[in-house]
Amino acid sequence: MNFKKHHQPFFPELAKRSFLYLFLSIMLLVYIAPVLFMVVSSFKPDARVLSDGNSLCAFLPVAASLKNYHDVFSRIHFNRILFNSLFITGMIVAGGLLINSIAGYALARLQWKGRNLVLGLILAILVIPFESIAVPLFYQFSLIGWRDSYQVQIIPFLADAFSIYLFYSFFIGMPKELEEAARIDGAGPWKTFVFIIIPNSKPVFATVAVLTFLMRWGSYLWPLMVTTGETYRPLPVAMAAFESQVKLWGDIMAFGVMMVAPILIVFLVFQKWFVKGVAASDTGRKG
Amino acid sequence: MDTIRGAKRNESRAAWIMVTPALLGLALTIALPFLIALVLSVTRYKLDTPLPVLFVGLEQFTRIFSDQSFLRALLNNLVFALVIVPVQTAAALALAMLLNRPLRVMPFFRTIFFLPVIFPMALVAIVWELIYAPGPNGLLNAFLSLVSFGNWQPVDFLNDPVWAMPAIMLLSLWQGVGFQMIIMLAGLQGIPRSLYEAAIIDGAGLWQQFFHITLPQMRNTIIFVALVTTILAFRLFDQVWILTQGGPNRATTTVIFETVRVVFKRQDVARGAAMSVVFFLVVLSITLIQHLYMKQHREVE
Amino acid sequence: MKKNPYQNYPLFLLMSAITVCCLLIGGCSSNSEQATGPVTLNVWFHTGRPAEQRVMEDQVARFNVSHKEISIALTMIPEGDYNTQVQAAASDGKLPDLLDLDGPFLANYAWRGHLAPLDGNLVDSLKDDLLPSIIKQGTYNGKVYALGTFDSGLGLYGNRQLLEAVNARIPQQPEEAWSKAEFQAILRKLAARDPDGMVLDLRLDYDGEWYTYAFSPVIESAGGDLINRASYQSAKGVLNGRQAIDAMQEIQSWFAKGYVTPNTDANSFVDGRVALSWCGHWEFPRYQNALGEKLVLIPLPDLGEGSKTGMGSWCWAITKKSKHKKEAMAFLQFLLQKDEVLAMSKANGAVPATYSAIAESDLYGAGGMLNLFVRQLQKSAVPRPITPGYPVITSAFQEAFLDIKNGAEVKATLDKAVRIIDEDISDNEGYRFIDQ
Repeated sequence: MNFKKHHQPFFPELAKRSFLYLFLSIMLLVYIAPVLFMVVSSFKPDARVLSDGNSLCAFLPVAASLKNYHDVFSRIHFNRILFNSLFITGMIVAGGLLINSIAGYALARLQWKGRNLVLGLILAILVIPFESIAVPLFYQFSLIGWRDSYQVQIIPFLADAFSIYLFYSFFIGMPKELEEAARIDGAGPWKTFVFIIIPNSKPVFATVAVLTFLMRWGSYLWPLMVTTGETYRPLPVAMAAFESQVKLWGDIMAFGVMMVAPILIVFLVFQKWFVKGVAASDTGRKG
Repeated sequence: MDTIRGAKRNESRAAWIMVTPALLGLALTIALPFLIALVLSVTRYKLDTPLPVLFVGLEQFTRIFSDQSFLRALLNNLVFALVIVPVQTAAALALAMLLNRPLRVMPFFRTIFFLPVIFPMALVAIVWELIYAPGPNGLLNAFLSLVSFGNWQPVDFLNDPVWAMPAIMLLSLWQGVGFQMIIMLAGLQGIPRSLYEAAIIDGAGLWQQFFHITLPQMRNTIIFVALVTTILAFRLFDQVWILTQGGPNRATTTVIFETVRVVFKRQDVARGAAMSVVFFLVVLSITLIQHLYMKQHREVE
Repeated sequence: MKKNPYQNYPLFLLMSAITVCCLLIGGCSSNSEQATGPVTLNVWFHTGRPAEQRVMEDQVARFNVSHKEISIALTMIPEGDYNTQVQAAASDGKLPDLLDLDGPFLANYAWRGHLAPLDGNLVDSLKDDLLPSIIKQGTYNGKVYALGTFDSGLGLYGNRQLLEAVNARIPQQPEEAWSKAEFQAILRKLAARDPDGMVLDLRLDYDGEWYTYAFSPVIESAGGDLINRASYQSAKGVLNGRQAIDAMQEIQSWFAKGYVTPNTDANSFVDGRVALSWCGHWEFPRYQNALGEKLVLIPLPDLGEGSKTGMGSWCWAITKKSKHKKEAMAFLQFLLQKDEVLAMSKANGAVPATYSAIAESDLYGAGGMLNLFVRQLQKSAVPRPITPGYPVITSAFQEAFLDIKNGAEVKATLDKAVRIIDEDISDNEGYRFIDQ
């Protein structure tokens, strides 16, 4: 960001840049220390995880082995729990993209009676945080006997006012010419949506997918309330239960590493979309 | 004419079909529970009770407002928000400004700072439980001892009435700041360079550039981030449930924690519903206040 | 250019159908436990120690082989939030045929109408063989609803070497327990010799029910109680009376003086860092492994009314809605056979539930290392309150204990606990029995 057009001696500039790099690198190390600690500890014997805390050994994989990882698999059905998280989050993202996008489109681009009323309702609902209806929702689901299942963890999160609002904001900003061309061809609203709107809306679909994924993957409160045992339990709740059973810190850290690994891979591959998606959550911008 | 009317009818029908799944979902999973909460909050209903249901008016509300734990929870949420919002927003802005350079390593740095955001809060809490371990072997205690040349007395952070809340704040900040940083970065990148160039020609120094260009241009973004962080601050639950169970002595209890505890440990779903209603009203008020504030400012401009 | 107006409908229908199908499959897979042939018996078991788990699985396997007409489907649920989970499952009628329950919570489930009484199927020979504490724990409103295959023992494990170094007397019987003053002196002397001053392990790495189980006996030893057991209608005067306050202040002083270790790694006793560990039967194998000859078992200190200790443990109950009560009872009777009781006791170190098993137990028989636990169950053990109000009582006490441990004012804290308990009892109309 060097706007200075004056003549500058070269060395102070180099010094400034080196200092910046150094500063950033130190900050980075301190910032990432907890992650390093977690990964390194996952390979250590349980006792050493705690006792190494006051030395540099905390970050060095001494006495490393894969024992903790074996322990995790022998103590719980990790694969099942991982599948639960992937399945539940995946279904919420997929289902959510489906029903929220068409709702957003209908609100943004179609003319119909009641449109303003529904829009107002959606905006009103936007204010209601999940936690304020968690308890009665729990009660509701227990009345129909749907506790401890996949449905109970998916269905409440499919329709999402914020997602609808994101779609709505995006669609409203799209140029009308696209649809007018389709209308002239005789295409109805559905066709227009599928063949014209969707292909031109990749950014908003990516944004909603990313934000939904981020919000749901780490979900703790709701699965804690509704799941019993491992069968339908997702990773975060399983990890907390694992930690409270026995304080074998090596095992616990191994669980943490395995929990984060798939997410990390997805993130690194789709990094660009993650960043764009998050940046666009401030709906004043289009990412 | 008929084709147009027909097309309009077609459009209207399609719109209703498109909007129905989402509307139905929202009605059943938000609107309906909300109403149920209102009804439950005026009863004494306990989960799975064989007794008949009694309506007791505002008794639950009287109870929760005379309950020290609940009042403390409200206070804690407020304090948490008042600290976290400025600190996390400022940190996010600072980080974004630091990383807003067209250097090739910047994406790498950005990724690293964003990383904790993809960690579930439950995981973050458990890792930090180790970091906060009491005694000289605890990572943080050891680190503080190092940087203070041995003058630091080890503290049991999560069990100390003074340190517990700051401990929760720190780990929450660590997990969340990356998210805000990305938003701030996007905002910074939207500021036209010409403004800066003009200022430099006028002889403005770095601080002046910051106060007269960066801040005003970023106003909307900053306000958005502040609003979101405030709402998130009131939803504080995961870390508290896993690490401190509201302790020590209510130092870290939060509204949602009290609500969940009362429903799960005492089966008192009516009281939990009353707390949920209060929680909703608090969040609503904050949102309205912030919207009003933003509107006022826009009018001034 | 007329295109087929329905061209895109199949796409949309397909997408929606896939989504809906996935949801349904997810839903159906949770309900498809249909077995053909032998009767499927759904059994829930809490997972405690791995050894316990293995014995249970083995018992189920052998029972399935010897009883071909019954097929047991065993579900293991982590102990940590077992009670919460069972309560929630009870709320929406999703309990299994047979499940083990934490003893003190039994009355609550029975009150809510979830359990079927066992009385009709209880033969006298079995009744006589069972420890009285087992039957008492499983009884509510005059009927027996559950039977455990073991009971628990709670005491003070000691490191003989460290104790002898301070000339501490080592009591063997509940009647010989340390007095309050004696215990304080021992702690003081131990701390003087200890590098970090922490000499007492109260298993703070546990949480939840442990606090009530382990520390309400201290209140009872001082003459207080968790609730007035005359009518179970109020805790006033017993939980916040003078004796209870004294007891909790005593415990608070241990923390204040720095005697208590946080035990983050759960190893303070086995590593020899502390001399005393307030713990239950389940840690005996690990402790003995680590300390060998140096391990001693000491009754809890006597705060005035005699040394009191905890009791009660997991017990098996049959749900009212079960369609296979006879089969469930058959499995329970299997589990109560002498050899099965012994097998479980060997695995989890708990007190066997039947006299016949105790007689053959190395640990618990006369002269065994853990015989103290049996004697305690006969003399000094106090059951946690047997009332449907127990879940709230224990929750209130746990909150109070945590506050007191962190230095809160004892009287105010106990007053608050009493308020919570009394309010709950009155809300529930005194937990009057409802015929269902």
